[in-house]
Amino acid sequence: MDPVFLAELAINGALTGLLYSLFAIGLVLIYKASSVPNLAQGGLTMVGAYVVLALARDVGMPLWLAIPIAVAIMFGLGFGIERVALRRLAGRPVVMILMITLGLDIFLRGTTLAVWGGTSRSMELGVSYEPLFLGDILVSRIHLVGAFVAVMFFAAFLLFFRTRLGIKLRAIADDYMASWSVGISVERGIGLSWGLASVVAVSAGVIWGEIQGVDQALSLLLLKGLTVAVLGGLDSILGAIVAGIILGVVENVGADFLDPLVGGGSRELIVAAVLILTIMIRPHGLFGRHDIERV
Amino acid sequence: MSMEDQTVAEPILSMNSVEVLYDNVLLAIKGVSIEVPKGKMVALLGSNGAGKSTTLKAISGLLKAERGHISRGEIRFRGTAITEVLAQNRVEMGICHVIEGRRVFEHLTPDENLIAAAPLGMNRAALNAEKDRIYNYFPRLAERRNSLAGYLSGGEQQMLAIGRALVTQPDLLMLDEPSLGLAPFLVAEIFDMIKKINREEGLSVLLVEQNALAALEVVSDGYLIENGRVVMHDTAEALKANSDIQDFYLGGKEGSNFHNVKHYSRRKRWLS
Repeated sequence: MDPVFLAELAINGALTGLLYSLFAIGLVLIYKASSVPNLAQGGLTMVGAYVVLALARDVGMPLWLAIPIAVAIMFGLGFGIERVALRRLAGRPVVMILMITLGLDIFLRGTTLAVWGGTSRSMELGVSYEPLFLGDILVSRIHLVGAFVAVMFFAAFLLFFRTRLGIKLRAIADDYMASWSVGISVERGIGLSWGLASVVAVSAGVIWGEIQGVDQALSLLLLKGLTVAVLGGLDSILGAIVAGIILGVVENVGADFLDPLVGGGSRELIVAAVLILTIMIRPHGLFGRHDIERV
Repeated sequence: MSMEDQTVAEPILSMNSVEVLYDNVLLAIKGVSIEVPKGKMVALLGSNGAGKSTTLKAISGLLKAERGHISRGEIRFRGTAITEVLAQNRVEMGICHVIEGRRVFEHLTPDENLIAAAPLGMNRAALNAEKDRIYNYFPRLAERRNSLAGYLSGGEQQMLAIGRALVTQPDLLMLDEPSLGLAPFLVAEIFDMIKKINREEGLSVLLVEQNALAALEVVSDGYLIENGRVVMHDTAEALKANSDIQDFYLGGKEGSNFHNVKHYSRRKRWLS
């Protein structure tokens, strides 16, 4: 096989993978605080994209203004979800919280369908569709922008979790009861993690909305995002980044080999295989923490 | 101790006929009344399941996290009724509860454990001074301040749990079984340190212990709880000398007969 073509597949796969990471970071933020994979992250991402569109198209704001305002609105929405839906479930079995997030996803999908309909709308970020040439390799500009955003979020959260507020959030992730006992407001911490995950959802919604259009299909990103988060270890932001790159490359290169053999559609199979194999072979993922056992 | 003595020292905490229900059905404590005089150390003694931990959770407000609530009675902290106050606000008022089983934040370092407990309003200089104060009390922790707390030894974790509570600036520190699973020399070290903090900073302490021998060495008075009721209250000296306590909680004297003492709690129920 042509090495240049292989490199092109790998690089574009890695960039796409970083876009999965961007989505997965939101999952990780909520998992860290609540020990629950947020099944509504796809719905939140879609709502984020619709809110940006509503502000930009329907209200007529420029995008540079619409996006920050959407970020603020979505932060409030995430915070509100904890207040309204999750607070009364504190201390209940995790499966109940999981079911709430599933219900929330269905609710968000239904609401967006009712308000904005099923027709795909375009984001029109203004990023050129002319491919970028790196030597002989073709690279998509919007993927490059998205990958950059993902890495920026990664860096920002790495710093955030070293701040005093971030340390309190990590304490909450470790032990609710002990957190309460020293006066940490577990409820507000979980609310904050939902708020931050919703902010990440806006950025993922904008980038993915630009790539595939804004419609109900955006919420299906959950499947790939969840695969990346599980592979990375669910509670590791670094894991989300590394696993995103791995999944993107494996998917892109693997599909190129497999598609001619099976007649297409092998991408989904590769993603499914990665998810299932991770859970079977390494359930805590690449960078997920084990529970500490002292010797 | 006579009733007059108790009213002289102003109590920082008073608990009056408190009854606690779990899940609206299970009666865990049945009218417990205790007082912690300001600046004093008081022990709550009793066997497993007697209601000691529930009493502490009622005071700290952590009951709510376990679906329990106070169905009768009143708790006052510095004269203010706190029965309806949220747990996190009680910490702000100056009550801190070191829960059973140490429960340090395992994936955080000791340094980060202390930072996590510090109020966000505390400035950087004050926070550093606070960390120095804790490491001064527990020098072992200072040596391991940057390794994960989950990998500390049991004794170090208990020191960290106490240090973490001290960062919240409590006036009343409640400790639930700090000696659990620790070697005797560590228990002595930790109790000595608590006594030292009590003496130097006037911190009031409510200590729950099954290890009555160690506890009675450091407290000024003690309550004995059985089946959710206070069955005895006296000074530490008197409790140590009490033959029933010796038989049941201090290991017993040589040759003493179990049959002679088994009904003591019924005789001494006058305080509940």
